[in-house]
Amino acid sequence: MLTTKLKIGIVCPYGWDTPGGVQNHVRDLAEFLIASGHSVSVLAPAIDEDKLPDYVVSAGKPISIPYNGAVARVLFGPIAYARVRQWIGGGNFDLLHLHEPAIPSISLLACWAAEGPMVGTFHAAAKRQKVIFAIGPILEPAIEKLSVRIAVSEAARLTLTDHLETDAVVIPNGIYAKRYSDGTAQEKWSGNTIGFIGRFEEPRKGLQVLVDALPIIVRFAPDVKVFVAGPGDPKDFEKEIDPQLRDRFEFLGKISEQEKADFMSSVSLYVAPNTGGESFGIILAEALAGGACVVASDIPAFDSLLGGGKYGALFQSENSTDLAKVIIDLLRDEDKRKVLAIAGKKRAQQFDWEVVAQQIFSIYEMGIVGGKGVTLGSDQRSWNRFLSRDEEKR
Amino acid sequence: MKTLLFLGFLLLLGLWYLSFSATRLDRLHHRVETSWANLDVLLQKRAAIALEIAHSDLADPASSMLLTGAAYQARDADIKNRSMAESGLSGALGLLISDGLPHATESEQALLQELSALTSKIRVAISIHTDAVSSTVMVRRKFVVRTFRLAGKAPLPVTYEFESDVL
Repeated sequence: MLTTKLKIGIVCPYGWDTPGGVQNHVRDLAEFLIASGHSVSVLAPAIDEDKLPDYVVSAGKPISIPYNGAVARVLFGPIAYARVRQWIGGGNFDLLHLHEPAIPSISLLACWAAEGPMVGTFHAAAKRQKVIFAIGPILEPAIEKLSVRIAVSEAARLTLTDHLETDAVVIPNGIYAKRYSDGTAQEKWSGNTIGFIGRFEEPRKGLQVLVDALPIIVRFAPDVKVFVAGPGDPKDFEKEIDPQLRDRFEFLGKISEQEKADFMSSVSLYVAPNTGGESFGIILAEALAGGACVVASDIPAFDSLLGGGKYGALFQSENSTDLAKVIIDLLRDEDKRKVLAIAGKKRAQQFDWEVVAQQIFSIYEMGIVGGKGVTLGSDQRSWNRFLSRDEEKR
Repeated sequence: MKTLLFLGFLLLLGLWYLSFSATRLDRLHHRVETSWANLDVLLQKRAAIALEIAHSDLADPASSMLLTGAAYQARDADIKNRSMAESGLSGALGLLISDGLPHATESEQALLQELSALTSKIRVAISIHTDAVSSTVMVRRKFVVRTFRLAGKAPLPVTYEFESDVL
């Protein structure tokens, strides 16, 4: 149980006020830890410093750099480094939890600057890149300082072992399963309906695959409707859709958490046609918790989250014919949908924060054994000793 | 003058690198020790639970004997035989649990639950420890470290061949 009260410093590499999976994870984790009585300080870049919750410390304004096929809003440089050092020096932390420490960001800076118990969580899953072999030797001594490494999925762990030749403990991302389990089915979204949530303008979210599959689906299920929720401008996207099918699509815009819960319990199928770039698939975990029957592409992250098809149906990624086949199959078979949804809901409990935070906390406990808190590495004894010994010789 | 300056710069750089490597190695040794201390505590706890199970009604006299023996062995083993003794204990526990579960009372259930929680912690602790050991060994094989004896008198850490499937 969470008995010992710790002072934990968490570093979030991405801009706090920009949407993203890592930010949500850090926010939920910090709030959960605070609720269980620990004192937590989060260091993160932020655009608007006035609107931060009181446990967040701003490290400055983030800058946009292209990274891993997307634009990352991160922060580094001498001023940021000074702020990181100041935060560590004044924080008096028992333990630091760095998120995504292998990308150029304040997490990496914190890893350089600090000495003591540190835990790192690796979120990203990427294909083997040549560039990593060039920067690997630079990263290695820093990553080595982490007492324990956590990967959010098997895919993220493989990325880590591939790139940095170091192992990690897999602890999944957390969700508040209860928030999604009490949704009420809404008539407007019920029937032969397919749901999709995400930034549909991004190609890697794969809405196009679903659009391509629809002509076939319509032939077998003439009354099918697709509801797309998520931020973005549907006008450009609608142009791509066959005019005859355009009225099948309804764009709901960004929806609230409560609406999300209702959405998940209303739609017949929740489809996640992502083509890649996904490391864990938090939205799938939420869909399962909401009691939706899930259809997802068979990218590694989804495959392992859905237990190879036990907790939701899989289709061959980027293959719209296969997607259509799977969807038609399930739309016709209500019993099969129910079986999958029930198995999925049970599965989702494993990702509940109650479970996940407990796992993370037991990692913290292992991290702090024998440590005397986090200090700044610049008070490096052997480095100073070396210098003074040198002077004596002269 | 210029060459002297340059040489001085090189010397400083070399010294910095040596100190950097020494710090790094020191940190790694520290990590090996703490992760081992961690694992050791967990394993001791497991042996204690195993004894408790052996003395409960869960175990028939024969498995009780087997378990008690294995638990004592695991506790007393010196570093060389430790991993073998622990694997023996894992085996004995596994044997019991695979057929001893159905007629467990509530307090025994709690005991078994404690054991399974401990087991997952041990699994994590093992992976942390082996990782620390392998990175230390890797750094110690480096040319600079060997030539300048940066490791000092610290013994080379040994990998413990734990059965990765403890239970």
